Order: sequence, then C-alpha cells, then structure tokens
Amino acid sequence: MSSPVIDIKDLSKNYGRDRGIEHVSLEVEEGDIFGFIGPNGAGKSTTIRILLNLIFPSGGTARIMGMDVVTESKKIKLQTGYVPSDANAYSSMTAGEFLNYCQGFYGTKNGSERIAALSELFEVDRKRKISDLSGGNRKKVAIVQSLLHNPRLLILDEPTMGLDPLMQARFYDLLHSENRKGMTIFFSSHMLSEVQMLCKRVAIIKEGRIIKVEDIETLRKRQLKKVRIEFDDQVDREIVRLPGIQPEPVISGKVFQCMYSGNFEELIAALRGKKITDMTIEEPSLEEIFMHYYN
Amino acid sequence: MNRNLFIRELRSNAFSLMMWMAVITILITVTMSVYGTFLENNSKVLGMMSIIPKGALLFKGISNINDLFSVLGFYSANNVIYMLVLGSIYAIVLSSNILLKEEYNRSAEYLLSWPLTRREVFLSKLAVVFLNIFILNMITAAAGFICLEINKREPFSINAFMILSLYTLLLNLFFGALGLFISTLVKRPKPITAFSIGLVLILYFIFALSKITESIAKIGYISPFKYVNLDTVNPAYKLEFFNLLYFAGLSVLLTGLSYLFYKRKDIYL
Repeated sequence: MSSPVIDIKDLSKNYGRDRGIEHVSLEVEEGDIFGFIGPNGAGKSTTIRILLNLIFPSGGTARIMGMDVVTESKKIKLQTGYVPSDANAYSSMTAGEFLNYCQGFYGTKNGSERIAALSELFEVDRKRKISDLSGGNRKKVAIVQSLLHNPRLLILDEPTMGLDPLMQARFYDLLHSENRKGMTIFFSSHMLSEVQMLCKRVAIIKEGRIIKVEDIETLRKRQLKKVRIEFDDQVDREIVRLPGIQPEPVISGKVFQCMYSGNFEELIAALRGKKITDMTIEEPSLEEIFMHYYN
Repeated sequence: MNRNLFIRELRSNAFSLMMWMAVITILITVTMSVYGTFLENNSKVLGMMSIIPKGALLFKGISNINDLFSVLGFYSANNVIYMLVLGSIYAIVLSSNILLKEEYNRSAEYLLSWPLTRREVFLSKLAVVFLNIFILNMITAAAGFICLEINKREPFSINAFMILSLYTLLLNLFFGALGLFISTLVKRPKPITAFSIGLVLILYFIFALSKITESIAKIGYISPFKYVNLDTVNPAYKLEFFNLLYFAGLSVLLTGLSYLFYKRKDIYL
C-alpha cells in the first residue's frame, strides 16, 4: 500500500498563551478530497502553515509525499499548490504580473498557455492591479496561481470565501476534474455544507485537537438535523422514544427541540394526529455538531 | 539565491533607490556649490568658526579649521550627514523591511508556498540589500567626485577620497546587516521603519555628543560612526585595519545571525 500523501503524527504547536494545536494526527491518501473543518481559531490554518513550513512544529512530525515538511520543504512545494484564505498580497502588481512571477518559480513549460487557460476559465482580468480587484476576484487569482504547475497535492484554506456562486460551482467542477486525474486535495473550511458536498473524508478540529476523522458517507448517514416542534398543548413525550432522536432533547412548555439523525418519514408518521402549531427542520451549526461528537 | 525573487526585489526597490540617490546627489551638489563662496570669504568664515566649540568641528572630522579650505576637507566635513547618516538610514530602512514586509503584507504565505528554501529567500533579499547599498554609494561617490573636480582650486588626494567612500560603504553595509538582524527578531509582523531610523539617529547623536562633550567621550565607542575616520586632509589618513575589521566583522556576524534566526523563524501572518 502506498504511503499517505499527507501524514501528520502527533503534531503540536505551542504559542505560549495563545492556543495552537495539540497532538494532531491524520492521514490523507493519494487521490482523496479531504475536508478539514472547524470554526475560526480552531487550528486549521496553524496545521496548514506547518505543512507549508511557514511555522515550525513544537512536537510531532508532518510528512507530505513521504518527505519531511521542515527539511524537504522545497521538494514538497514543487508538487504542491496552495490557496491562502487571505489573498490580498502583492497588491501593487497586476494579476498578470503576479501570475508570471509565480510561474517563474516553477519554470514549467507552456506556463503562459496555462496562465491564459486558467485565467479564462476563472475570468481573471490579468491587466488589472490586484489592489483594484474585489475579494472574490483576488481569490480567483489565488486559485489560478495554485494550479499553474499541475500540482499533485492542492492545499486550500477557505478557498471559496468571497467567490460568487457561479465561480464556486466552476471551482468545484475543476476540483472534481483535477481529482479524477489524480490530484489529492486538502480542503480547509468552516462551512460544513461545502465540505460535505466536495470531500470524501473529513477531519473535524476544535480548540487545536482533532475530534473526529470520518468518511463523508458515514457522516452523511448519521446526518444531523435540528428539529423544533411547537405543540398546541403540552409536548407529547412519546416522541422522545423515536429512533434517531439524539440524547438530551430540550423540552420547554409546548416546545420540543432536539437533534435528529433518523428517517423523516418515521418522524412525520409519529407526529400524525398530533396538534402542532409550528415545526422547523434546519441544518445544525458546526458547534452543535461538535457537541454531538463530544457526547 | 533565486533569480526570480532577486529580480522582483530589485524592481520593487528601484524607485526608492533612485529617489535616495537623487536626494543625496542633489544635497552634495548644492553643498559643494558654495565652496567657491566659502573660499572667497575665508576671513569671515574663520571669524565665525572661531566661536564654534572645537568638539562640534571634531565630530565633522575637522581637527584644524584651515582643513575646511581644502576641497576634500570641505567635502568630507559638510557632506558627512548626507553620505553617512542618510546613506545609513536608507540601508537600515531597506534591510529591516525587506524580509519583514513579506509578513506584514501577508505575501509570505504565497512566497513560502512556492518552491523556495528559506536560504534562497534570505540570500536573494540579502543580495538586493547589499547591491542597492553598493549602487547608492557608487553613484553618490561619483557625484561627489565630479563635484570635487569641478570645484577644486588645487589637486586633492584621490586616495583619501576613495578611503572616505569606502568608509561610507562599510558603514552603510553595517547598517544594512543591522536592519536585517533586527527584522529577524521581530515576532509580530509590523513595519519597523521609525525604529530603524531612530536607531541610526541615536547612534549618530551618541557619536556627536561624545565628540562635543569630552567628559563622555568614551560612550562614542558604542556608535559605529566613531569608526569612520573623516580626517581626509591629514596626510596620514588611511583605512585603519581595526576599523575595517570592526565593520566587516560585525556585518558578517549580524548577517550570519540573521540567516540562522530567519531559517528557524515562525512566520506570523
């Protein structure tokens, strides 16, 4: 069996008073689209910055394609593309100058053609200064630069932030297409829906620790919904026994609130004949999913 | 060293270099243009100079007022603030920001995601710092030389002029290395331009103060300006071996330490 493209073992980063990451371990296999989710400040960017050798780990190891991220960083980066969450740098350059500059580090053949093709795909105006571009357009330039050298691994840190829905869709299509050709994708986001849609596997990080690493299919199967039912009179306590109702539902007067991971037909059948004045079913927040995993 | 990064840095610093060269050249030219008038009014000048404390002249390298009437003496005494102080400010501002700007402009996140080692980044930036300082010194020295040739009334020592120019270059290179070193110690990314300029000025004033006030003469040794000999009119004027060693040694030491620190530095964004 081939070694993982990303192999993180017991990785820690200690910032002193500020939280870093603690004993993070995860593996990303070749050809995977791996989601890395967590709220802001959870440790996603810290992990990525260690992978890129921007910061040094306090403990543990991280290897990409079998190479150590600290000692063999240059070799790794020849085969890695990266989209930062903040794409505001090099504002004095035009998009074209920036992409040519970036391409100069790889020295790839047909670099200009690749720049032209990707710029066209993402509708990047190469003549405009980066400082004059909107956040979404800057992000498009960042995406183009990450793909110029046909990387084997693509690391994305909140890549769709600022992109309009059309460009998001085009970007997702491109990711799927590149993935089919063999590219491994490490996708960091705080948007669960995005990760669920794109990724095959997912790691959830909270307060610097990995809470769960799971196949997205498994996650989907136990997909949680937040259900709130307001009864006409008192809450019918029979409902608590329904399979799929997660532990510790909240019952307050006429209102029943819970996390539900079961079949909705069963839920609706169980409510048949009950006097209900209001009912909402919505996506739980990431925090609520975290709490579910803690439980 | 990485050619792509080196060229990009040269380009991005070219305008600033040209501005500094232009300003220093203009100041030298303007200062030297009054040399003729200065000579013609030597009796008035001598009277005026007699009331200036000896120390105030010493820190400009004037041990004898009559030295000012030689074109090289006039040049070294009156252009010291431009050649040494402004040149050093240019050097430290350039070097203290060249690595750090990648952090506070958030471009380090891109730069270090491209196939570059820290060593290549450091050496490319170092080469730009030293090359820019070298170009600044060459151009301003050439301007100074032309001014001397135009304004001279009698021959001057080209050897002494070359040594003075070399001292200026060494001092500027030292501040280049110092700026680089300080920037690698900065934990949180922010420009340190004001601090760098302040440091040069403080070191200059320590030197000036030590020359003016005899009782605190010894504090002058902590200032690198102390090791620049401006007494160009003195027939024994030469490049002191200790001074050369001081500048070269400290510059190499600070550059080496900067490299070691940068190689292990956490880049915060």
